[in-house]
Amino acid sequence: MKKPRLGIFKLTSCDGCQLTVLNLEDDLVRLVDLFEMAYFPEAMDKPLRGTLDLALVEGSVSVPRQRNTIVEIRERSRHLIAMGSCATSGGLQALRNWANLASYKASTYPSPQAVQALSTSTPISEHVHVDYELYGCPITTQALSETLVAFLLGRRPMLRGYSVCMECKRHGIPCLLVSQGQPCLGPVTRAGCEALCPSLERPCYGCFGPKEDANVDGLLAWFEKMGLNARECQALLDKMNTYTFRKARLESRS
Amino acid sequence: MKADRKIIHVPSLARVEGEGGIFIEIRHGAPTQVHVTIHEAPRFFEAFLIGRPHEDVPDFTARICGICPVAYQMSSVHALEKIFGIQVEKPLRDLRRLLYCAEWIESHALHMYLLNGPDFYGLNSAWESKNEQSILARGVRFKKLGNELLAVLGGRSVHPVSVRVGGFTRTPSKKALLSLAPKLETAYEESLKEISWAASLPFPETAWDTVWVSLVHDEEYPMNEGTMGFSTGETFSMDAFLETVIEFQVSHSTALHAGRIRDGSQTPYMVGPLSRLNLNHAKLPTAIQSALKDAGISVPIRNTRMAIVARAVELAYAFYEALRIIADYEEPDRAFVPYEPVEGEAVWITEAPRGSLMHRYRVGSTGRIESCTIIPPTSQNLAHMEMDLRLFLESFASEPTDVLRREAEKIIRCYDPCISCAVHVISLI
Repeated sequence: MKKPRLGIFKLTSCDGCQLTVLNLEDDLVRLVDLFEMAYFPEAMDKPLRGTLDLALVEGSVSVPRQRNTIVEIRERSRHLIAMGSCATSGGLQALRNWANLASYKASTYPSPQAVQALSTSTPISEHVHVDYELYGCPITTQALSETLVAFLLGRRPMLRGYSVCMECKRHGIPCLLVSQGQPCLGPVTRAGCEALCPSLERPCYGCFGPKEDANVDGLLAWFEKMGLNARECQALLDKMNTYTFRKARLESRS
Repeated sequence: MKADRKIIHVPSLARVEGEGGIFIEIRHGAPTQVHVTIHEAPRFFEAFLIGRPHEDVPDFTARICGICPVAYQMSSVHALEKIFGIQVEKPLRDLRRLLYCAEWIESHALHMYLLNGPDFYGLNSAWESKNEQSILARGVRFKKLGNELLAVLGGRSVHPVSVRVGGFTRTPSKKALLSLAPKLETAYEESLKEISWAASLPFPETAWDTVWVSLVHDEEYPMNEGTMGFSTGETFSMDAFLETVIEFQVSHSTALHAGRIRDGSQTPYMVGPLSRLNLNHAKLPTAIQSALKDAGISVPIRNTRMAIVARAVELAYAFYEALRIIADYEEPDRAFVPYEPVEGEAVWITEAPRGSLMHRYRVGSTGRIESCTIIPPTSQNLAHMEMDLRLFLESFASEPTDVLRREAEKIIRCYDPCISCAVHVISLI
């Protein structure tokens, strides 16, 4: 049987999700056996040619040329998976969506006029159709393996739509929000990290983005009752998934 | 005459982290333009950190680089602790060093076996040839152990979550760390042999005396603390170092370049494992010094193409040091030192796998960030990379274009450039 052709791409991001591919470690050798590695510049010196069966894309669309790049990748690929918070939510760099680009440029570069950037950083799904989204900053090797196996078997990957709270309960971690009054985003954040932060005694900071039907406004009202002001509440949402959390908040108001 | 002009254009470099290329023009047998073109998209970290609570800084700056998040967390927390006057206790200091060891292991193994290594045995990727898969397997074994150690301390290897101002959110148990010791012992023994493997790779004959720069420390091989040392013999405090270098913007790169200010002009310098080894060789344990000597290498190494040897040395050292820290570790009474944020400004430099990483923060009275500057190692090395390419081209300009292109790419990969981080820089004005 012909091996499916896999391409791995990067837009604006930190390389952490591509590194997660390389962090498959023992499975990496199996991965390069099961797929034809057609394009993966982070680890391979090979030009992009022909069409792909599967494209994994890390990073957000934040500079003009990337709007064309993502369309090109989509046109070449039978299936496209957005990988990580930048690709599914715009990443930390989406904080510019609520700021003035000119002042950002001016505070970072001596000659700001030479720097090309869009005034927004957006998820891939705002530009092209995406077949599947892998959440997390970074994604986990487990979710990546599961997705690749599902692809090979022709089934949908197992998607967790519930919140981090479920994972805390499953691991028997005492609730930081209820028992310690810490502002934890767990109730509105998608599961997938196995309650990593609460297991290290810190509240969830929302790496995996909003869960389905997240009642963001409800949770923030609770935080306000705990004594946080509106600015502090907003700052909790404005991290690596700022764009999708703000959207979820608006949806939870309607 | 057209034949007298050669253009070498690599639009996108492979096997580096991030997006960058090379543009070279040779006229009449001499290089006229030599540019490392960084086209990574700007992410404006310094801009969006302004106004944020200082507690966010280690989580945010980690996202500058997925390969060396610990380095960003370490320079951040040390700078903020300097402002707040926090002194962490020995076990916490040791755990930070251990976390850095884990990152050096993971990052150096990645670079030695997956990114730079394949250049020396003629492959386009580490898995391209079945014959060389044992080398890949060795590298993956080291890398995996680095990641395991990172996960024990920080919860996960990419963007660990336990680092905070004042210490850690939770410290690991002695038992959890000891459980890794047998694997680390074996890896240390194996890594000593990798020094001679790295030294046996086919390096081109080239040597030059450049300016090596890294942290230096009286007692230890530097990671988190020290003063900035130059191979010229001078040392500078971290704050004074910032006064001796200048950042400047060039039209062919979204990353700023850096140079040392001397006699009114900027001169390139080099940071990274080679600089660290050359300046700190005497601080290595005897066994590692002997392994290097037995491999036929004398220090200082004056060939920038041999940076992979320095990485092999540091890989072995990171295993050695990790074992030492784990053996001495005593679970601390508290995971972090409590503090009150105060107004102030501070500079801190730590040694990222790719070299010295400088952070400066100014914090206001409410504990929010008022301004910051981040100078990553790759940014400091860009001007040096161009000088390295230029020196090579001056001797070999008559070679065919495709040979020059391949060699130029290899030269850049020796720096382990992490381009995704190189763009997050701000003017020092």
